[in-house]
Amino acid sequence: MTEPGISPAAKDVPSALMRQTLMDRELVKPVDRPVIRLLPWLNVVAIGGRSVIDRGRDAVGPVVDELRAALDEHRMLILTGPGIRARHVLGVGLDLGLPTGVLAALAATEAEQNGHLVAALLAADGISYLPHATVAHQLAVHLAASRAVVSNGFPPYEIYEFPPEVGKIPPHRTDAGTFLLADAYGAARTIYVKDVDGVFTGDPAADSRAELIGRVGARDLLARDLDSLPVDPIVLELMSRAKHVTQIQVVNGLVPGNITRALHGEHVGTIIDGP
Amino acid sequence: MTAAASRASLESLLMSRSLNYRELMAATHETPDYPILPDVSVLKIGGQSLMDRGRSAVMPVVDELVEAKCHHKLLIGTGGGTRARHVYAVAAELGLPTGVLTDVGSAVAGQNAQMLGYLMARHGVPVVGGAALAALPLSLAESSAAIFSGMPPYDMWQPAPAEGVIPPYRTDAGCYLVAEAYGCRTMIFVKDEDGLYTANPKTDPGAEFIPQITVDELLARDLPDLIVERPMLALMRHARHVRSIQVINGLRPGLITRALAGEHVGTIISAD
Repeated sequence: MTEPGISPAAKDVPSALMRQTLMDRELVKPVDRPVIRLLPWLNVVAIGGRSVIDRGRDAVGPVVDELRAALDEHRMLILTGPGIRARHVLGVGLDLGLPTGVLAALAATEAEQNGHLVAALLAADGISYLPHATVAHQLAVHLAASRAVVSNGFPPYEIYEFPPEVGKIPPHRTDAGTFLLADAYGAARTIYVKDVDGVFTGDPAADSRAELIGRVGARDLLARDLDSLPVDPIVLELMSRAKHVTQIQVVNGLVPGNITRALHGEHVGTIIDGP
Repeated sequence: MTAAASRASLESLLMSRSLNYRELMAATHETPDYPILPDVSVLKIGGQSLMDRGRSAVMPVVDELVEAKCHHKLLIGTGGGTRARHVYAVAAELGLPTGVLTDVGSAVAGQNAQMLGYLMARHGVPVVGGAALAALPLSLAESSAAIFSGMPPYDMWQPAPAEGVIPPYRTDAGCYLVAEAYGCRTMIFVKDEDGLYTANPKTDPGAEFIPQITVDELLARDLPDLIVERPMLALMRHARHVRSIQVINGLRPGLITRALAGEHVGTIISAD
């Protein structure tokens, strides 16, 4: 222990957390209050990179048309994933011996480029791409000026990405970034647009007996330890600590009308419930 | 498998499989590691523990850092401190989410980096941050030291904690992850206690000093209070470069120098 007199005490600002390590669970409790929803009307829609954007016009065109048609009714934060180019840059980076944090930054760039593509298609409707900092600090004013904005689904972790349990692939990617942002804003809906009908009991591409699961709990789904999930399993873990987003929906964006129906609260695809 | 064969196999997995595919993740485990700044030492200067104490605590630390940079390359991160605690308390009471707390809290670590930067300016030590981190190798080559704000840039993407809204990954995690990502030689936390104790020595006179412990032992003990951020310890388990950290007392002259020389002068927490 530091003996008295070694140095004068810190100059404190009085607060409920004063002189706290912030690690003492009992002492941190007094400031615990219900968290407000910053943007309770917000719909967060994540467009898959490999599953949708890499497929080109045949897939992206109808998805963009559906988003455009939804503008009158819904205010949306549209987030994009990377795709095959991220796989390529991960391959090069891994071969060069670069760490997870650098790989995260490289892959995030690809998600950003896909965001620019989607935003360009919606530019005439008043929709622009917003970088991370703007989404974090000026989303409200942009959504007051426009019904929707597009941004990068990857979170801005970059060199601060966590070392993964196994290997070097960055664990916080588009699915996690989408979920974290939706929860921070207290969004009304979080919809993942992919190229499968939802969560299956097996890999629908390889196993004809794989069945669609209409609704499932996040914890239950994690426990099933499925090999091919359309959303990253880290999202299911994050759901257990979420303040607002207690439900996410995975829909097939290649089927026209699904995004619209999900935005209306209809049960298409798979709904995953938090604890 | 030869290196070329395993590279081809990894590339094919990357192009065809989900990034969550176990075999793919395992294959990335075998890829080489190229440490980016292997001869750099990262030091974290505590906010509440040092900066908030003002001149009497900070100036001796500055003098020691200036002397140390003649022999070592230093990357100096800063903590938040009492103002961060105040703004967390106000924001939490207002019902604001973790992302907003992260943002306002990081400004405090930024102020501390600014202040430390002015004190070390005459010695040619710059404050780097954001895009300027790209010029970090130049700063280190020119002046052998650089200062950065310790808070990670998670902003609105900060994971929510299990309870409450206090950001779980703060300046300890931020400084540690910089050291790990850049493959630095050492990570030293400069605080105002001799290291880790069984309880908070400021409030519990029965607290006992722990000179050395593993992450697993420490997490298993589930101590009510801890001198470093608990979630940072979990990150250490999967680290590839920085497998141990040392927590030292910056109020005792000479300890920074000795810790940089590899001496055990505080508490060493290791992943293995």
